[in-house]
Amino acid sequence: MGMEEYMTPGEIVGKSYNYIAGPGTYLNPSNSTIYACAVGLKRTIPASANAEDKRPTVEVVKEKEHGAVPEPGAIVTARVTKVMARLASMNIICVGTRAVKEKFAGTVRQQDVRATEIDKVDMYASFRPGDIIRAEVVSTFTKNELGVVSAESIAGAAMIPISWTEMQCPLTNQIERRKVARAV
Amino acid sequence: MEYISPEGLRLDGRRPLEMRQLHAQLGVVDKADGSAIFEMGNTKVIAAVYGPHEVQSKNQQLPDQALVRCEYSMANFSTGDRPRRSKGDRRATEISLVIRQTMEAAILTHLMPRTQIDIFVQVLQADGGTRAACINAATLAIADAGIPMCDLVTSCAAGYLNNMNYMEDSAGGPDVTVGLMTKMDKLTLLQMDSKLPMDIFETVMQLAIEGCKAIVRYIQNILLENTKQLEYQRGLRS
Repeated sequence: MGMEEYMTPGEIVGKSYNYIAGPGTYLNPSNSTIYACAVGLKRTIPASANAEDKRPTVEVVKEKEHGAVPEPGAIVTARVTKVMARLASMNIICVGTRAVKEKFAGTVRQQDVRATEIDKVDMYASFRPGDIIRAEVVSTFTKNELGVVSAESIAGAAMIPISWTEMQCPLTNQIERRKVARAV
Repeated sequence: MEYISPEGLRLDGRRPLEMRQLHAQLGVVDKADGSAIFEMGNTKVIAAVYGPHEVQSKNQQLPDQALVRCEYSMANFSTGDRPRRSKGDRRATEISLVIRQTMEAAILTHLMPRTQIDIFVQVLQADGGTRAACINAATLAIADAGIPMCDLVTSCAAGYLNNMNYMEDSAGGPDVTVGLMTKMDKLTLLQMDSKLPMDIFETVMQLAIEGCKAIVRYIQNILLENTKQLEYQRGLRS
């Protein structure tokens, strides 16, 4: 693993003309010095071959990550709690691939559900309470545009998507309307 | 009352400039994101940190930085007499504010906008220097939680003697509490009780700063030991 160097917050990691400050470090512009801001192992990652900046990135790898926080542009996974005429409420459970430690609340507005014919969206035909959805955080107050990833039918079985707007229950063969997300 | 004996020893057997024995433990509260117990002699303090998480009242949300909240309380059994303490009493409110301002100066709040970080400190046993012990415990708990800080904040109280216990503190002499970001060499807290001549103030403040630097060496060791222990348990190193 090479030379092991553990850092604590405030320790000098390097100079900014030699390194780029990565996660776990921060740059003090007044003296061009990079300091550690977390407790962990110092790691240097060389710059990729076709990068413009040839400086290696230095980071401090923490043992414990603090809980994930949704930010604009992040893809989140959430469970729908309430569906109303013009919006749906949900609890965000994952940000990207990381689960959150404590729940965040989010809402979907009617105009964010799809790109076309946004006035004619029927919220109740797009989601039901209990559905798991994938969404993108649009702005600071976590309004999202999204689609249903997984849903449970009235009979209680996990439904299979059959088109952009329909999902089918495998037990009863009943078709229910949802706004289905594209598989990833 | 003799605070220094003819042989040069204090009431608890220390030399005038000597610090009390330090002891710290990390990760003592499982539910919390970060937690620590910090002991300075007989003063024992526990800190628990939760966050960053969603702000509970949306109107207090800050758009460009994290909101830091702090609550200081003393357990009823922490002092010799065991009064029924209310959470909102003036001394606790003042110390909560002081700890919050001290820690807020060190946490990189701009990295976590629209979130909230809660710091809870409770004094389990009070023997002088509770404010300083709380700040040290909060630093450990925040580092344990993985919340980014620009530097470790340590705190120490001194008067004519360094790191006074309850008996020496009650004597009514000056009591200067200093909070220091050691690597940056910047003060985040400076408080004083009682009066002190100006020329002696510099010396007393330096004494407290020396105490802070001794504590930060100990805290760094604790944090590094804890990280190595965690890696050992996860099998990343043998």
